[in-house]
Amino acid sequence: MDESELIRAAQRGDQRAFEQLVRLYDQNVLRMALNLLRSPEDANDIYQEAFLRVYKNLHAFRFDCSFHTWLYRIVTNLCLDALRKRRVRREEDTVVETSEGYLNRMDTVEEGRAHGDPQRQLMSSQLRVRIRQVLDELTPRERTVFEMRHYHGLRLRAIGEMLGTSEEAAKNCLFRATQKMRAALGDFV
Amino acid sequence: MKCEDVKNSLPLFLYGEMSFEAEERLESHVDECDGCRALLKRERELFQALDAAEAVPSAELLAQCRAELRGRLGSVEPEPAGFWNRVRDGFSIHFHFAPGWPQVAGAVAMLVIGFLGARMTPASFPGSFRSASIAEPATSRVRYVEPAGPGRVQIVVDETTQRTLSGSLDDQSIQRLLATAAKDPSNDGLRVESVNLLKSQPQSAEVRKVLLYAVQHDPNAGVRLKALDGLRDFADDPETRQTLTQVLLKDDCPGVRTQVIDLLIQHHAPSMVGVLQEVMGKEDNNYVRMRCQRALHDMGASAETY
Repeated sequence: MDESELIRAAQRGDQRAFEQLVRLYDQNVLRMALNLLRSPEDANDIYQEAFLRVYKNLHAFRFDCSFHTWLYRIVTNLCLDALRKRRVRREEDTVVETSEGYLNRMDTVEEGRAHGDPQRQLMSSQLRVRIRQVLDELTPRERTVFEMRHYHGLRLRAIGEMLGTSEEAAKNCLFRATQKMRAALGDFV
Repeated sequence: MKCEDVKNSLPLFLYGEMSFEAEERLESHVDECDGCRALLKRERELFQALDAAEAVPSAELLAQCRAELRGRLGSVEPEPAGFWNRVRDGFSIHFHFAPGWPQVAGAVAMLVIGFLGARMTPASFPGSFRSASIAEPATSRVRYVEPAGPGRVQIVVDETTQRTLSGSLDDQSIQRLLATAAKDPSNDGLRVESVNLLKSQPQSAEVRKVLLYAVQHDPNAGVRLKALDGLRDFADDPETRQTLTQVLLKDDCPGVRTQVIDLLIQHHAPSMVGVLQEVMGKEDNNYVRMRCQRALHDMGASAETY
């Protein structure tokens, strides 16, 4: 079955079709949530909530846009809400206190696209920490646009559509995000 | 184009989000301006540093998410589809209620009346034929129909019944079935899942053939990426290298090309220098170009041919 057949079968209540549909996209969804929220537990929460919403509301999907766009719209809205709440609560730090001292939960997460990449292996932990800090300092919207463009390779037009804004607004967001990163990481890179 | 404009445009340039003309103007300026060339180099380095900071979910986290979702789906009911949705699904056709919708709605209503009328007709209506077998879990195809006397018809139906097989992934008969499924042109989801299962058995030469076929021919980039993942430990095998080289030069998906570069440069084979230089000469994706450039740099080779 191709994607539209899977969607129609899932709309008719075929759970196996729904699971197949989930598997087409769930790795990217999890990757996006993990990069934006920098916490495996929060990324799992977003994953669950996003696909449960899709499951409950799939009957309302009318093929007016691509399923990919519809799903990412749900995921990015959930991530944006979580980031905004986190900013309010000032819970941006991923460092937790354990019986063995302080531990950054992101240290347990694999990083980088390629295994065996010498540049990645050589990259100082200081630079990684600084990049995380800079990403945390971006506004939720800037961070989301940056994540979608840089790590997911989505075009600005598609990002605008997913965030319910224009391509130009997405471009401005990306511009601000890269400017801030260049300013903050200038001494490292 | 002025230096300030170049500085402001560098991120969009590296993301490939500028128009062709603007990109041309920027490249011409950078060719002649040492300061901007240095800025571009720094911006590329910044992008590479950011690439390396990406978090990748572990396989355990993904498995945990999937298992939890499966458990939660069992206790959640999807919202029921509306009446019109069910009517539309019944015909597998989606109407768009644009101008002229009353006519379309009228046509649909007539079809619905006919459809429901047929469905409500008692199955034991005198003279009717049994249709139960067609609704059973089997795929059916009407081969031909033939009149069989007044008011009657004879229909020849091809049927394929389903059965469930289970077995170990290293069982050759299971691998053969998965290999067939991995080439099913009509079902992307089935191919993704089949290749995903087969990729854990690359030590089998037959499985590797299937993975190599998928990398070269599958129309779905997701399937190609999974097949590449399965070939990771065989990147120094001559047949695999030859196929991957062809994929690098022909595949239209930048993600696939990037993954192929990562596989091919694992062993720093000198023969890769020429291939990567060829890619540099024709590649239009900035990110892939950067990966090539970095690989050539790591191998102590120039990014250009002279």
